[in-house]
Amino acid sequence: MRVEYINPFVESAYSILSEVLQTEVHRGELYLKSAAMPMLGVAAIVGLAGDVEGRVLFDMKLETAIAVASGMLTNMDMEPVTTFNDMARATITELANMITGQAVTKLHNLGFKFDLTPPAIFKGDNMEISDPDFEALIVPMEIPMGKIEVNVAIRERA
Amino acid sequence: MKTKQDFPNINERPAAGQRSDGTPYRVLVVDDSMFVTKQIGQILTSEGFEIAGTAADGQEGIDKYKELYPNVDLVTMDITMPKLDGVSALETIMKFDKNARVVMISALGKQDLVKKSLLLGAKNYIVKPLDRAKVLERIISSLA
Amino acid sequence: MTDTVVQSEIEQVEQDVVDFKMVTFSLGGKDYGIDIMRVKEIAKFIEFTYVPNTAHYVRGVYNLRGDIISVVDLRAFFNIPAEKTEEGRPDNGLILRFESNLLGVIVDSIDKVVGISSKRVQPPHPIFGDINIKYISGVADYDGNLYIILDVDRIFRRDDESGKGPDTMARRRVERAEVTASDVPVTQREQTDGSDGIEGSVEETALTFIADGVQTFSDFYLTSINHRWFTGRVKEWLNRRLEQGKEYQLQEKADADAFLSPFLSRFTGTLWRDQYAEQFGRNLPATESTMYNVWNPGCGSGQESYSIAAILKRRFPNRQIKIWAGDKDLLPISSAPNLVFHEAEIPDGWEDFMVKGKNGLTFHSEIKEMILFEFSDILSVSALPKMDIIVARDILSFQRKEDQERIIERFDEVLKPGGILVVGDNEEISDSKTWKPVEAHPVKMYIHR
Repeated sequence: MRVEYINPFVESAYSILSEVLQTEVHRGELYLKSAAMPMLGVAAIVGLAGDVEGRVLFDMKLETAIAVASGMLTNMDMEPVTTFNDMARATITELANMITGQAVTKLHNLGFKFDLTPPAIFKGDNMEISDPDFEALIVPMEIPMGKIEVNVAIRERA
Repeated sequence: MKTKQDFPNINERPAAGQRSDGTPYRVLVVDDSMFVTKQIGQILTSEGFEIAGTAADGQEGIDKYKELYPNVDLVTMDITMPKLDGVSALETIMKFDKNARVVMISALGKQDLVKKSLLLGAKNYIVKPLDRAKVLERIISSLA
Repeated sequence: MTDTVVQSEIEQVEQDVVDFKMVTFSLGGKDYGIDIMRVKEIAKFIEFTYVPNTAHYVRGVYNLRGDIISVVDLRAFFNIPAEKTEEGRPDNGLILRFESNLLGVIVDSIDKVVGISSKRVQPPHPIFGDINIKYISGVADYDGNLYIILDVDRIFRRDDESGKGPDTMARRRVERAEVTASDVPVTQREQTDGSDGIEGSVEETALTFIADGVQTFSDFYLTSINHRWFTGRVKEWLNRRLEQGKEYQLQEKADADAFLSPFLSRFTGTLWRDQYAEQFGRNLPATESTMYNVWNPGCGSGQESYSIAAILKRRFPNRQIKIWAGDKDLLPISSAPNLVFHEAEIPDGWEDFMVKGKNGLTFHSEIKEMILFEFSDILSVSALPKMDIIVARDILSFQRKEDQERIIERFDEVLKPGGILVVGDNEEISDSKTWKPVEAHPVKMYIHR
């Protein structure tokens, strides 16, 4: 993945998570993944378009998703959730949207023009994602509720 | 000597969401996220605003505006939505009602989008994540 | 008559003076002996650790009370058929000592210690042995048995000492040349057979240990790509360590790095200059198209990519040049797009490519825009357009064997016919059908047929 794209995603993940969860956030070592990757349980995907093509995926365990959603809701003086219901889904989707949105904004200011598509949420057991022609950058984010893997696969338009 | 009655009563301060005559401002919230809709709803109702309606995509937003018109004081508009995006919906609403008050709310703070929206007639632009103070301040100033 | 009787009696007395003791053992049905001065102890080898990629007669390594010694099966070494030992049953052997090294050898069975007069030892005659005569120092008969006495020194002597026979050295040279010149797939390694002498096995064991060490500590994989350099370096290393009185083994990363330090190509981590830059520029494929594509995997902190960009810009000022530069080490590659240089680092003639900033000199955006720096692993399959040049210096050697092959195949797919491949100074591609070496010293360049 193009070097210039890395920091905006890393910074946005850190800043948004810190703000909406009002908690300590630690970033793990960045690494590259290719081929099929098993998913943790809940994934929010935001598509990228424009000068590049690709997607950003936010991967986490079900319990982490519920805890994160609850954290975000309570910080907004709203009711927490106990199951992964529609509100939980909407909350995680919004998280994905904000992180990707902020990263895309930063990239835009650096001269890279891309846009994002509305997010989609996946939930299931034993899911796997495979992008045969894509190499993905993984930014692991550690929070008290668990781990969120920000998985970015971007390719320059040929 | 000053008595209690001479001091303004905090509890009687008019809520930001209410006009001087006590009627609430009516807001249409257009966003595809249930979370954001709830969040904005919560912030606004706590200050006395009334949520006149909600819409989950640009097209629905336009239709709802036309329906509510002229009993709608402000619209909050998300940019990234399926079917029809917020900027396109803004454009149509402004054509329909040149006095419409639309505040854009988005995760995308791109310069070109902000400029475009404001040029099309949006009153203000808020970049997520939202915090209560920011939301209220921008909305109130847009109503002025 | 009396004279001859007296004479034979005197001879008898002389023959009875024991001044040579040997440990006798049997090997393939015949009796052998080794000078007891060379034998540290008799051993029963119970558990070996098998060491891959060694000659067939090297059984592995053995832990002798803390010392790790290599163990050679003399039957295999001399190509004598041997019975297979039952699983779990220990092998009989000896621990031999020469200079400061120990070596374990496996035999069929140990007999006894025999003392004879050295006068009884007769020079070897080929008729006496199944094994190469140079390893026999003599034969002696004792108690009705004929013992073949092995010359242990000769057997274990190292290359750098005078004892190496000229024919063996010639054979080695030929084998090496054959390996590099032919279409040898990357996985094949140089084979040596037992008749070369165990004088090679110490070096070979050292080679194996060192190869394991650099692999473990530094992710360096010994294959035909770097074999020639590696074997030369092992010799050098063994000598140096011997002089310093140190072990040759690589105990930690610092040792592995020290061993590998002469491997990296010139101008690693700095801008290319002099002969290297000149030869690179001179041998570039001239194409008709307006687009000129370069793939530069393993670019590290990027100086290499900037060098390629500058040289190409000079040579083809009007072409649209694009360089895909990648590395899987995040730290260096992430600083590549904004690399800052000091005036002294800029080669002559490139000053006009530079722009002065508050931290120093950076390349002009015209050059920067030519390069796409990516945090990427060379092994990931991503769509790439056809390339005119591939510069992959010192990256193949740090990939596993199977991956090296795959990558070279990928180069074959991606590089246009007539395109140029540049590898590290100490690397080489042996597949001459596909990759023809270009005379561009000091650049290691190949043309894609």
